[in-house]
Amino acid sequence: MATTPNSLVLEISGVKIVPQSNYHSGNSVKVKLLPNTKSPIARRTPTIYGRTNTPRGLQQIKSSHMAAQNVDSTDDRISRISSSIRVIADFPKPGILFQDITTLLLDPKAFKDTIDLFVERYKEQNINVVAGIEARGFIFGAPIALAIGAKFVPLRKPKKLPGEVISEEYSLEYGTDIMEMHVGAVQAGERALVVDDLIATGGTLSAAIRLLERVGVDVVECACVIELPELKGRNLLGDKPLFVLVS
Amino acid sequence: MFAAENGLKGDPRLKGISDSITVVPHFPKPGIMFQDITTLVSNPKAFKDTIDIFVDRYRDMDISVVAGVEARGFMFAPTIALAIGAKFIPLRKPGKLPGEVISEAYELEYGKDRLEMHVGAVQRGERALVIDDLVATGGTLSAATRLLERVGAEVVECACVIGLPEVKGRCRLGGKPLYMLVEPRQ
Repeated sequence: MATTPNSLVLEISGVKIVPQSNYHSGNSVKVKLLPNTKSPIARRTPTIYGRTNTPRGLQQIKSSHMAAQNVDSTDDRISRISSSIRVIADFPKPGILFQDITTLLLDPKAFKDTIDLFVERYKEQNINVVAGIEARGFIFGAPIALAIGAKFVPLRKPKKLPGEVISEEYSLEYGTDIMEMHVGAVQAGERALVVDDLIATGGTLSAAIRLLERVGVDVVECACVIELPELKGRNLLGDKPLFVLVS
Repeated sequence: MFAAENGLKGDPRLKGISDSITVVPHFPKPGIMFQDITTLVSNPKAFKDTIDIFVDRYRDMDISVVAGVEARGFMFAPTIALAIGAKFIPLRKPGKLPGEVISEAYELEYGKDRLEMHVGAVQRGERALVIDDLVATGGTLSAATRLLERVGAEVVECACVIGLPEVKGRCRLGGKPLYMLVEPRQ
């Protein structure tokens, strides 16, 4: 189970915000801005943004609202998921608080509940494709794809995918990186999810959306376990909705 | 050992899995016939069959840890872990895992690389699997096995979708059983 270390909370100041895309290089940087209180790093009350499943296609949503019955039925699962995530101070650089999902993966119930929450949301939505962002997006995206009967499509760093690829450049704090997808992995008109473990500034997810839209795919929603809402990553997703379990 | 020699001879799922793999010649270098599993994972039936075969094999073996090798191992191992109620442990390239790690070196064709695992992820005596998409020389799987054994876990088996000719005919890798579903496509 995760523990939140009390001692380091209030010492951190001048937290540096780096663009999201830096978070999906080898040294991910995740920033959590601390509230101006003396309490330990309390995870916020978990919020679910989204809407209830209906057979129709998902509409655009910007604010959180969920039918009361869904909140009730998922509360216990969400709090266990939330508390299973470990915060690591000063990784990969001093002043950064890293949201480590590996401790969630060590709790079979929390991991299963995480996947179930996504599967429950998407299984009736006629999703054809689940695109997972390398590498932590593979850990969540592949089980979701299998459970809903969709294709799993890995979105990868340069030169990992063999054969013909299309590439999308995105910004890092210094410079840029590239995300690649196989040509022919998806067909125009297919309905897709983009999955990653966490959204911070939204740079990586927005690159994934662009890749899929370039080949005519309908990106229905982005799904992440964790959101860092202070970084306003949601704003970079354009008209695409975002669904998260913990923020 | 291959699945076909070990109870699944003639199982039509194996042909479907093999057929779903794409061969990409001369990647990443001339002379290499790369076995591309992305067409397997984008084929829901072949992907499900792959996972089902592993899950059927391991569900009653008291496995509490499934370790997946970055990054293609991450496409297979987590679902296997979920299905058998085990923990999933990512084994990663250096510098990716935050917090305290142990690391193990292994040989590449030219030079060395390292594989890392979180300290405290696995307890002494736990029974573990190691999963990757493909085994060639076995260097990576051997490093993964050593990592787990260093913390006192028992590696019950290493399992891969594809087994290359270097390991053909071998049932064990570094003293551990090796289970593979299919041979490489030509």
